[in-house]
Amino acid sequence: MLHLGLPRLSFSPALAVLGLLLAVGAAQGAAPAARAAADTPPGKGVPAATAPAPAAAEAVAGEPGSVDTAVDTRGLDQEVQGLKKDVVDLNRELFVLEEELLFPANTQVAVFLSMDVGDFFGLDAVQLKLDQKEVINYLYTPREVEALLKGGVQRLYLGNLKVGRHELVAFFTGKGPNDRDYRRGASLRFEKGIGAKYLELKINDRQRKQQPEFEIKDWE
Amino acid sequence: MLTSALWWQCVIAVPLGVGSLALAQPGYGLLGQSAPEFALHAVAGGNVRLSEHRGEVVVISFWSSRCTPCRTQLAALDRSLTTYRSAGLQIYGINVDDDQTRALEFAHGESVAFALLLDPEKDVSRRYQVDNLPMTVLVDRGGIVRYVLRDYSDKSQELYLKQLRALLNE
Repeated sequence: MLHLGLPRLSFSPALAVLGLLLAVGAAQGAAPAARAAADTPPGKGVPAATAPAPAAAEAVAGEPGSVDTAVDTRGLDQEVQGLKKDVVDLNRELFVLEEELLFPANTQVAVFLSMDVGDFFGLDAVQLKLDQKEVINYLYTPREVEALLKGGVQRLYLGNLKVGRHELVAFFTGKGPNDRDYRRGASLRFEKGIGAKYLELKINDRQRKQQPEFEIKDWE
Repeated sequence: MLTSALWWQCVIAVPLGVGSLALAQPGYGLLGQSAPEFALHAVAGGNVRLSEHRGEVVVISFWSSRCTPCRTQLAALDRSLTTYRSAGLQIYGINVDDDQTRALEFAHGESVAFALLLDPEKDVSRRYQVDNLPMTVLVDRGGIVRYVLRDYSDKSQELYLKQLRALLNE
């Protein structure tokens, strides 16, 4: 499947770009030739070898009204838009392919982070340890915190783990109630099976205690 | 006679020209490359991530509390920010001190309008191949490293403003 997919992904946009460049080149080449043909006095004639191509003749015919030029520009614009869409699609397919190759489903582990309310905690950084080994230390900018508070879920970490028992420890750093420096940890022991494992770090406000709450949820 | 003199002038001028270009930016490996991504703590609080400033011209200046010209340069950068902020300029000063206390003292003594960032692990400084202080890296709106200045002088400041204007006009 990969062997069949890759050449299609790699070569079709390249051919499209080449085609487009050739088309633009032909159009640019044809216009001066057409102008030269129009400027030539009727008596002198044009040698057969340098006679304008049919495309040039069309360009000559189209010059007075410039309607054809407008149509051509629109067509070119549509082609460019189509090409852009192809590039975006290609990029997405390559991204998925890369993830499938680097993080196969049977060993994949992904850790997400979400925040709810955030009145009692201003997130600054999260440090993640998997089986006592630091895998990520992520600093949050005000924009990122804002996005999380609006309901965004961030994929904080994507990696590979073998089947068996593992431990995830997360340290949350930031500003707690009354704008005090705050650092809290949360841990979870989990069993990694054959399929992909998804874990979520959740930061909630506990209204009753007026404190933030940190929780690690295993998406079964 | 005249031809011979011209030839000698060329022989002397070409290596000099090449030499002066090399002095301006000797072998900086990041020129034309994507600026290495970073997220660092700011002295005034909060964090800064470079990729959030795509679409703006970003000037990154590496400084230390032990470097005397750094203070003058930070002030000059601050002036350029006042002038060009509305044109889409962002400036960050990244500290490379081993002693964070000294860095903080120095930073609190500076009244610049841009964020001074701390790089205690020197990870960002290493990725930006800092080999002299002050060192200033100019990143264009597309996130590409376009210019680097490895010292501070009136001449380099002139060059900085010229390069900055060029990037802001793009």
